[in-house]
Amino acid sequence: MTIAGARRVLPYLLPWILLALAIVSVASQTGRPAAVLNMWRPWGEIGALSAVMTAIILTGGIDLSVGSIIALSSVSFGLLWHGGWSLEWSAAAAVSVGFVAGAVNGTLITLGIAPLVATLATMACYAGLAMALSRGERIAGLPESFTTLGQDSWLGVPNQLSLFLLVSLAAWIVVHHTRFGRYLYAIGENRLAAEFAAVPVRPVEWMLYAASGTVAALVALVYTARGGAVVPTAGAGIELQAIACVVLGGTRVTGGRGGLGRTVLGVAIMSLLDIGLQFASRKIYVPWSDVPWQPGANARLLLVGILVIGVAIWNERASSAHDA
Amino acid sequence: MHNAPVPLFELVDVTRRFPGVVALDRVSLALAAGEIHALVGENGAGKSTLINIISGLLPSDSGQMFLAGQRVAWAHPVAARAQGIVTVHQEADLFATLSVAENMALEQGLPVGPGGWVRWREIDAKARQAVALLGEPLDVRQPAARLSVAQRHMTQIAAAVSQRARVLVLDEPTSALTAGETEWLFGQIARLKAAGVGVIYISHRQEEIFQLADRITVLRDGRQVWSGPRASIDRAGLIRQMVGRDRAAEMAERPARGNLAPRIARLQVDRLTAADGRFVDISLTAFAGEVLGVYGLIGSGRSEFARTVFALDKPRDGTISIDGRPRTISNPAQAVAAGLAYLPEDRLRQGVFRGLSLRANAVLSALATLGRGPLASAVRERAAAQDQIARLGIRCRDPEQPIAQLSGGNQQKVVLARCLLTQPSVLILDEPTRGVDIGAKTEIHRILRQLAADGTAVILISSDLPEVIENSDRVVVFRAGQIVGQFDASELTPERIAGAALPGQPSTETTSTSRSARGRAIRPVASEVALLAAIAVMFVALGLSTDSFLTSDNLWGLLASASVWIILSLGAAAIMLAGGIDISLGSLLALAAGVGGLVLKLPYASGVTIPAGILAGLAVGAAGGLANASLSLWGRVHPIVVTLGTMTIYRGLLISLSGGDTITDLPPDFVRWSSTEFFGVNGSVALAALAALGVYLWLSHLRSGRHVLAIGSSPTAARLVGISRERTWLLAFGAGGSLAALAGLLELSQTGAMQSGMGSGYELRAIAAAVIGGVSISGGRGNVAGVCLGALLLSLIYNALVLWQISRYHYALVTGVLLLAAVLVDLAWRRLER
Repeated sequence: MTIAGARRVLPYLLPWILLALAIVSVASQTGRPAAVLNMWRPWGEIGALSAVMTAIILTGGIDLSVGSIIALSSVSFGLLWHGGWSLEWSAAAAVSVGFVAGAVNGTLITLGIAPLVATLATMACYAGLAMALSRGERIAGLPESFTTLGQDSWLGVPNQLSLFLLVSLAAWIVVHHTRFGRYLYAIGENRLAAEFAAVPVRPVEWMLYAASGTVAALVALVYTARGGAVVPTAGAGIELQAIACVVLGGTRVTGGRGGLGRTVLGVAIMSLLDIGLQFASRKIYVPWSDVPWQPGANARLLLVGILVIGVAIWNERASSAHDA
Repeated sequence: MHNAPVPLFELVDVTRRFPGVVALDRVSLALAAGEIHALVGENGAGKSTLINIISGLLPSDSGQMFLAGQRVAWAHPVAARAQGIVTVHQEADLFATLSVAENMALEQGLPVGPGGWVRWREIDAKARQAVALLGEPLDVRQPAARLSVAQRHMTQIAAAVSQRARVLVLDEPTSALTAGETEWLFGQIARLKAAGVGVIYISHRQEEIFQLADRITVLRDGRQVWSGPRASIDRAGLIRQMVGRDRAAEMAERPARGNLAPRIARLQVDRLTAADGRFVDISLTAFAGEVLGVYGLIGSGRSEFARTVFALDKPRDGTISIDGRPRTISNPAQAVAAGLAYLPEDRLRQGVFRGLSLRANAVLSALATLGRGPLASAVRERAAAQDQIARLGIRCRDPEQPIAQLSGGNQQKVVLARCLLTQPSVLILDEPTRGVDIGAKTEIHRILRQLAADGTAVILISSDLPEVIENSDRVVVFRAGQIVGQFDASELTPERIAGAALPGQPSTETTSTSRSARGRAIRPVASEVALLAAIAVMFVALGLSTDSFLTSDNLWGLLASASVWIILSLGAAAIMLAGGIDISLGSLLALAAGVGGLVLKLPYASGVTIPAGILAGLAVGAAGGLANASLSLWGRVHPIVVTLGTMTIYRGLLISLSGGDTITDLPPDFVRWSSTEFFGVNGSVALAALAALGVYLWLSHLRSGRHVLAIGSSPTAARLVGISRERTWLLAFGAGGSLAALAGLLELSQTGAMQSGMGSGYELRAIAAAVIGGVSISGGRGNVAGVCLGALLLSLIYNALVLWQISRYHYALVTGVLLLAAVLVDLAWRRLER
């Protein structure tokens, strides 16, 4: 293979190489595959967010507020339930809160504020609102009929994974098989030309962020059910993990290139690496060294950070080499 | 051969190619000292390319340039200017947020005195001197954004005049000027001519050319077709040269087309007026089966008119009917549904999606008809694209080929296919053959005549006169936002149309009065004064409502915590001013404090560990900032993504170093330091004041600091004046990181302990403080005083929350609301600026 050929193929190979490494790291550490499925639960939640985040990043946007929307929806749910609402109505209200929060993002962005800045501001607002409404207190004692939502499995598949698969499937259809999806790529590739080509840029963006808020609220319900209590700091930092999955899969941060399949790959890599590291909280025997290495929380933080930056740069450079 | 004097400036056989076109083909030009050399040609003849080569914006592919007999070459506009070649471009690219005087000074590099201090007095004096030439008072210290278009041009010309230019290039200098201003300009040119300066003068205005020029050179299709003294040509001859003798003859013989009777009106526009007044009361009708030519120069209002019809811009007034029915069209999607299609004039920016396939590009506007409900059908899209490839003769491998791989002409055909797939009854083509090779041009002409023959109303907007004449059944001419002429098939001659479109006199209708008095009045009030007022209100409210606020303990405590915020916010602001953003500052602050704390605890004398700890912390901060900038620059990734990553990396590193434990038992001298009094001032406050002074001096009085603001104000203008983006960003991010480290060390000293969660969320508060203090999120605007006041106000608000015993769970909400308010205020300011 020529060097130019290798350069063209490598960007696509990199995620698979990472995935293989991740699978090896998990497989070498566990004799109990069932445990892995349970450890997947939080990643099902992150994965659902990543699926919507993919569509947003395809337009060149970003939504930093999803973590805070999880907190806000979760707190709204808890407070309403505590105030005597039925579980169903509380849940419905929590989802509406997520929709409204996302719609506010969408409105700010269609006004002309950069998505990054707008959602940075609402991220602080929604988290603050969750904290203020709950006065920083947990709401525990949720009934089992609700908590099973986050702890049960259906046909052996944990509910979080089902949510992930459902949301990903829906997002896949929307992104790759609808008019709306075609518009996403056009907006991300050249926003001005999209306006000239009669693409309804603003309505598309508004709907996108509203959908993102709604899915975040759905995730909030499973998240709360899994933990068994409403925590006002729920979801903090989860947006970074979701973005990391999207970027890791190979969707370009500046928009126009990427897709859902890649994100599912990114989620697989991130989750397996993370689970591998958790198993290894005992010890990893590195082949070329006699001293075992024991990763902790710091190792996971470092890993996420390095992967995000590394892959973002890798993709950007690879795609500009491809253009040239 | 007799001994001719060496020309002042000479171009020999300059050639420049762009993909698919030869923009300049062996063009030569000689300019004598004290000579005014007019360069004329239609749009697209190669004038801009030639100017860009002369001014150093573009390299030539081959050919030479000589200045006073010496061979010269420059890779950069700054190099050209250093040699005395001064260019005033038609589209003035300037630093909108910087002062008029600084804009002038940046063109030649800011003058600095000993120690690197910017000589503001010299800058202002020089600018005043230059502006004095204008003969009207103009404050040189106001931001350039407040100048009207005419004022921008006039100040640029004045600066060029006062710059001791050897060669002055003026590109359409009078296009925005009134008659009086034009007269002023001619006076200046006469003075320069007398002083031996050579002037290259580009204009569409025949009167000006015949009034000013000593020599005239005509460019057509990138070739030099005529050059000689002014006396040897007349107006009609000049137009013939611009248009081309052969083609002029060809046009005269254009076969008359049969009239289609009865004529069906497809598009009727009645008294349409632009919201911004760029065109007024335009009425026209386009009939089925005809090509309606719209001729006009750039800026005549023709493209603005087309964009308004297509609902990309909102009209102030007027009605549009399509196929006989009046329509209210409020967005392009409705325009398409009503039967309109618009091919934009700027293919690269407005037409093509470079990263997408030919198919995706072609079907984009017609997806509603090619799918089933909301679903898209790849099969039908492919078939439609195949259809258009065959119909328009698009040369490509297959429909999935990336459009970027096609030639310019084929790309244009794909954009045309996008229009045709919506099956329009009215097709508006704006400069359809600009930057397209001659073969594709002929084919596009054939296609549009075929479309008309099939019953579409085709509106052909062009500044290519032969194109309009050869292809149109009727022509309307735009000038200065109005229709100034209508010509039927029998009247289509180049002389008549060009005569109508080219203003003989400098236009008197354009206004050049300074536009926005309101921006001037609102801005300062909205920033520092408003902040001071808010702080005063908080003070009074707190003083009246609580007993404990006005105690010296509380006030010093407030100032001490404000000090940390002031320093950190200055760091965030330095990065934002350069057009960057850094959300890793909170983690970096903690990492620097952690490293500093670990060094402080080393078992040596405190006289050693304290300076070592502080230095180590600051070094970590600087290194972190530099790492952010280099990753973003080298990886070409937005700083938000990089700092999102480094935010977790720095936090992870901190946990690795400290093992997640709290660092306590610091040397007492270090802990005591922040509350020690220096000259009656608390140590924290003294440090914040020093930091603010330092940042102020750097940003306001050092060249590197001004470059930070310049690059944030306009990266493209910064490139033109040779400011290195790499160096400036490294500096700004490095300074931001160091300031974050300083804030971290100060907090470490104040609290005496360091937890691994320290600093989380700080970056948001710091960004909020900076934005509240008037720093623009998009860079280039803001000052140190505003940032300090913003940080102080935030601290006061938090102090108030404590004193009013509002639950601390509301703090995060207050931060969020303030940040959101700041963002909205920033948006409002940007709207006002426009």
